[in-house]
Parts: sequence; C-alpha cells; structure tokens
Amino acid sequence: MDDDELLSRHYPVEEDMRMQQRVWRYERVGWWCLVLMVLLALVGLFGNGPLSDATATSSDGRVQVEYQRLSRSGTTDNLRITVRGMSGEPVMVLLGGSLLREASIETLQPEPQASLSHGKALLLQLGTSRDGIATLYLTLRSEHVGTLEGVVRAGPSSTVRFSTFLYP
Amino acid sequence: MDSILRAAGMYVALMLLFRVAGRRSLADLTTFDFVLLLIIGEATQQALLGEDFSFTNAILVIATLIVLDVGLSLAKLNAKPLARLLDGHATLVVEQGRFLHSRMRRARLTEDDILESARDSQGIERVEQIKFAIVERNGKLSIIPQE
Repeated sequence: MDDDELLSRHYPVEEDMRMQQRVWRYERVGWWCLVLMVLLALVGLFGNGPLSDATATSSDGRVQVEYQRLSRSGTTDNLRITVRGMSGEPVMVLLGGSLLREASIETLQPEPQASLSHGKALLLQLGTSRDGIATLYLTLRSEHVGTLEGVVRAGPSSTVRFSTFLYP
Repeated sequence: MDSILRAAGMYVALMLLFRVAGRRSLADLTTFDFVLLLIIGEATQQALLGEDFSFTNAILVIATLIVLDVGLSLAKLNAKPLARLLDGHATLVVEQGRFLHSRMRRARLTEDDILESARDSQGIERVEQIKFAIVERNGKLSIIPQE
C-alpha cells in the first residue's frame, strides 16, 4: 500500500489505519476461511459426502454397515446393515451402543420378523433372501451433540463397531 | 436452556460472519441484497428455534438477543477500545479531489461507487469537486464537497 495512504488522517475524521488494516486483513482471511469451509462441506466434512460416507465390516466379513462418520444433530441419517447368513434361514441381529439408545429410529425397513429388547440393545430377527443375505435399512435421528457409538452383532465373531460424530 | 445457548451462539456467529462480509456489503441495499438478507434470516430461524415452536421459546430467544444487543451497546459506552474494535473507524477514500486507490481497493469500492454516491447526495459531477469522501462506520459513504 501507498505509504501516504497508510498514514492516519486526523481531519475530518480521526482514523486509526493500523486498526483499519487489521480489519481489512480479517475480512480477507475470513473470506478465505469461508471458502475453505464451503469446500470442506462439499467434500463432506459436515456430513453427506466422500469424507463422511463410511463402511465397516466385521472381522469375518458377515456383517457390513454403511453409515455416516460425520453428521449433524437433528438430521436424519441412513444406516444400511447387510448380514450374510444361511439361505432361507432367518438371522438374528443385535443393535446396540449409544447411537441406537440416543437416536430415535424413524424408519426400519424391511419390517423384522421379530423385534425384542435385549438389555439396552435391540434384537431383531431378519429374513434372508435366496442367496442368504439380509439387508436392513434404518433412518436415525438424534438431537445429541458429540460422538455416538453403534454396535451391530450377528454372532460371536460378527461384530461391527462404528462411531458417528454429530455437529451441533 | 438450550434455546438461550442457541440464540447466544447464533448472535456471536452472525457477528463474526457479517464482520467478514465487511461494512459495505449491506449498506446500500439493492433488491438482491434484500432477498439475500431474507434467505439468511430464514436459514437462521431454523437453527434458533429448533423443533420447539412454542410461544415461550420464541420469547426466550428474542429476550436473549435483545439482552445481548443492549448489553453490548452498554459495554461499548463504557469501554472505548471495545467500541473501536466492534464498530471500527471511519476511513477517508477521497482527499482534496484525489482518490486514495489502495484504500478503496481494500474497502472494495470503485471510483464509480464514490461518484454515484456523490451525484446522488450532493449533485457533484467530477472527483475534483469532492473535498472528502468517507466510508462511515455503518458502511455508508459521506461526501463533503469543495467550497
């Protein structure tokens, strides 16, 4: 900047150019921060994007959960649970963890054959297709802020743990 | 309780965001700016009220916003540095008929903006007729003509 223009004038108004330059710098830096925020939101830092979509699989590969790693409080999220079982035989799936306690299940499809409580968790009996795969679609909504853990279990070595962080 | 925190959080967040937008941004409200302002209000409203559309919640939110706003202006009255920090200073952009270009650039003002304002308020035709043009703290342009 021109040196003369950097000097504070005292008439007709009292200026403080050092302060004013700080304000302009704040505006400039702030604008870049907002640009960065928008770009990060586009890639899913605040949910619903490549950064946020996640899949967790149990150690034996029988249970697979597709979930959102990051989400916002008060929004609905999709959770897809796939369990591999025996063809024609129903599978039992246990849903637990703070996620399923704190969040309310808005929809649960397809309707399980049986739905029981198991301590603080939920035990569901799901029918399988001809190739032995049972899929459950859930939409969850929570007003919680912070990290929530989810546990899906379909047998002793078929446990999936995942966690979701909810922004305010 | 959380509606108070929401309102306070939103107040601070909006203050920081509008500081980034700068004082000029909404000073001369065009139709488009007005629509933009409405959309901002709409986006804010959801986060302020949440799921609770009760009368009590609305009153609580409004009360919080007024308490913060009046409280801040009282604090500014007592602490001059705070007032300087929050309201900023007036800045000259034309001095004795001469544009201060790098200042105008930082303030996102063009020569046309200043001349338009000069014509509008003082009936001035050329920059030489302007003694001082000042960006006020609220973003408005004040034009003082040459005698």
